[in-house]
Amino acid sequence: MADTTIPGGRADPDRPGLWGALLASGPYRAASALLLASPRRQFWLLAIPPILWLLTQHLGPMLQMLYVSFVDAFPVPPGVEPSFTLENYGRFFAEPVFWTPFLRTLAFSAGLAAVTLMLTYPVAYFLARHVGRRHRLAFLLVLLIPFWVGEIVRTYAIMILLGNNGAVNLVLRWLGLIEMPIPFMYTGFSVSVGIVYLTSLYMLLPLYSALEKLPPSYAEAAADLGAGPLTRFFKVTLPLTLEGVASGCTLVFLISTGYYATPVLLGGPSSTVFAETIAGFFHNAGDEWPTGAAFALLMFLAALVVSGVFNRLMRMLQGTRR
Amino acid sequence: MTRTTRILMGAAYWAFVVYVFVPLILMVMMGFKDSRFIGFPINEWTLRWYGEVLRDAEMMGAIGYSAVIAVLATAASLFVGTWIAVLLARGGFWGRPVILGLTLLPALIPGIISAIAFRIYARQLGIEPGMGAIVWAHAVHNVPFVALVVGARLSTLPGSHVEAARDLGADPLVAFMRVTLPYLGPALMGAGVFCLLLSFDDFVRSYFLGGYEPTLPVLIFALLRSGMSPEINAVSTVVLVLTAVLGLWAERSMRRMDGGGR
Repeated sequence: MADTTIPGGRADPDRPGLWGALLASGPYRAASALLLASPRRQFWLLAIPPILWLLTQHLGPMLQMLYVSFVDAFPVPPGVEPSFTLENYGRFFAEPVFWTPFLRTLAFSAGLAAVTLMLTYPVAYFLARHVGRRHRLAFLLVLLIPFWVGEIVRTYAIMILLGNNGAVNLVLRWLGLIEMPIPFMYTGFSVSVGIVYLTSLYMLLPLYSALEKLPPSYAEAAADLGAGPLTRFFKVTLPLTLEGVASGCTLVFLISTGYYATPVLLGGPSSTVFAETIAGFFHNAGDEWPTGAAFALLMFLAALVVSGVFNRLMRMLQGTRR
Repeated sequence: MTRTTRILMGAAYWAFVVYVFVPLILMVMMGFKDSRFIGFPINEWTLRWYGEVLRDAEMMGAIGYSAVIAVLATAASLFVGTWIAVLLARGGFWGRPVILGLTLLPALIPGIISAIAFRIYARQLGIEPGMGAIVWAHAVHNVPFVALVVGARLSTLPGSHVEAARDLGADPLVAFMRVTLPYLGPALMGAGVFCLLLSFDDFVRSYFLGGYEPTLPVLIFALLRSGMSPEINAVSTVVLVLTAVLGLWAERSMRRMDGGGR
C-alpha cells in the first residue's frame, strides 16, 4: 500500500483519532453531559478536587496538630473520650529546659538573618549593577548550583570545613596564627555557619530581584545632586530595596527556625535548638505527642509573630521615607 | 568612586563564590583520599571509596529507595500542582486569595513543624511510617512549587489558543489535554526536576515519617552520628554531580520557555 500520509498530518481524515474516539464514545458522552453541561458545572468540576486536596492535605495536618495539642493523650486509647487540657502549653512555661532553647532559636534565627543580609547584599548589588545582562545568568547560576544540593550533604561539607583537622584550622596553623586547632565544631558558631550556608540563597534572590527593578538613574540623580556613595546607598538604594530586604529576612528567619539535622550534627549541648526539643517528644513512645504538638505550634506562632512585626516595621520605615 | 565600589562589590561576589564552593570542593577531595582519616594532608589519591559504595548493599538500597520515593512523589505533586494552577489561572472568582494562600502554606511552614504535623496526621489517618507516608509528605510539600512554576507558564498562554480548540469541537477536557498540556511541557519538566531534587534530598520529613528502611539522607545522617567516613564523601559527591547536572538541565529547559513562549 502506498504511503499517502502528509508529514505531520493525520493518517486518515475519515477515521477519528484517539481524542475523537473518546469524544464519540458512549460513556464519555454520558459523563460529559452530566459534568460539563454548563460553565458552572465545569467550574465546580475544576474547583472541587483541588479545594478538597487543599483542605485535607495542606490545612488538615496543621488543624490536626492544633487539636492534638489540646488533648491529654494521643493517640487516644480505644473506648476513652479524650479530655481537653491546656497542660501541654503550661509545661512550656514551667521549665527553663524548654524555653531556653526556644528563645535561643528565635535569637539565633534573627541574628542569622541579619548576618545573611550583610553577607549577600553586596553580592546581589554586584549582580544587579555591575554584571552585564548577557553574563548575569551565568554569574547567578554559579551560585545556584550548590544550593540545589540537600541539607545533609551541605552540613557534612561544613563538618569537614570546621573540624579540628579541617581546612580552616589547617590554614590558620599554616599562617602561624594558632598552635593548637580551634574547636569550632559542636558550638553555636558551627551551627550558625551551617545555617547561613544553607539559607543565604533565600536572601540573595529577593535582594537581587529588588535591586534589579531599581533603575540605576535614581542613584545617578542623587550623585548629580552631590550625594556621596554612602549617602546614596543609605538614602536611595537601601530604602528603595527594603521590600527585598523584608522578604529575604522573613524567609531566612522562618526557614532557620525549622532546621533539625544541621543543629544536631554541628551543635553541642550548649547550642540545643528548639527543633531538637520538639523532636525529643516524638522519639519516645506515644503519650508525649500532645506536648510536642503544642511546642511545635508555639514555635510556629512565635516565628509568624516575629516576622509579622518585622514586616510591619519595614513597611512603616518605607512609608516615612517616601 | 564607582570604580572602587565596583571592585569592592566584585570582591564580595567572588568571596561569596569561594565561600559557597570551598566546603563542597573539600568534601569531594576527601572522597578521593586513600585513608579512612578525613582531614589534611592528602598524600595518596584513590577511587576505592566509590567501589566501596557500589559494594555497600545498605547504601545502594537507600539510593534506590530514595529514587523511587522521589519519582512517585514528583508524579503526584505534578498532577495536583497543575490542577491547582489551572484553577488559580481562572482568576477573579470568589475565594481565590484563600486558595492561593492554602496552596503556598506547605512551603512556608518551617521544616521540623511540617514534619511533626505530617507525622501526627499520618497517625490519625492510620498511615504506617514508611514509603507511603514519605511519598505523601513529599508530594504535599512540593505542590506549592509546581503550582507556582506551572502557574507562571500558564499566565503566558494566550486565551485564543484554547478558544480556537473549543471552536473546532474540543470539549474542555480535550482542549486541556491537546492545547494547554503540551504548552505547559517545559514548565512541567522544570518543576518535575526540582521536585525530584527536593524529594531526593529531603531529610526532615523522611526522618520523621520513615520506617526501618532509610532514605539516603537519613542513612547519611545516621552514619554521621557515629563518625565521618570516606564512603559518605563518595556517595555525597555522586549526589552533588547528579544534582548539578539535573538542575542545570531543568534551568535550561525553563529558560527556553521564557524566551519562546510569549
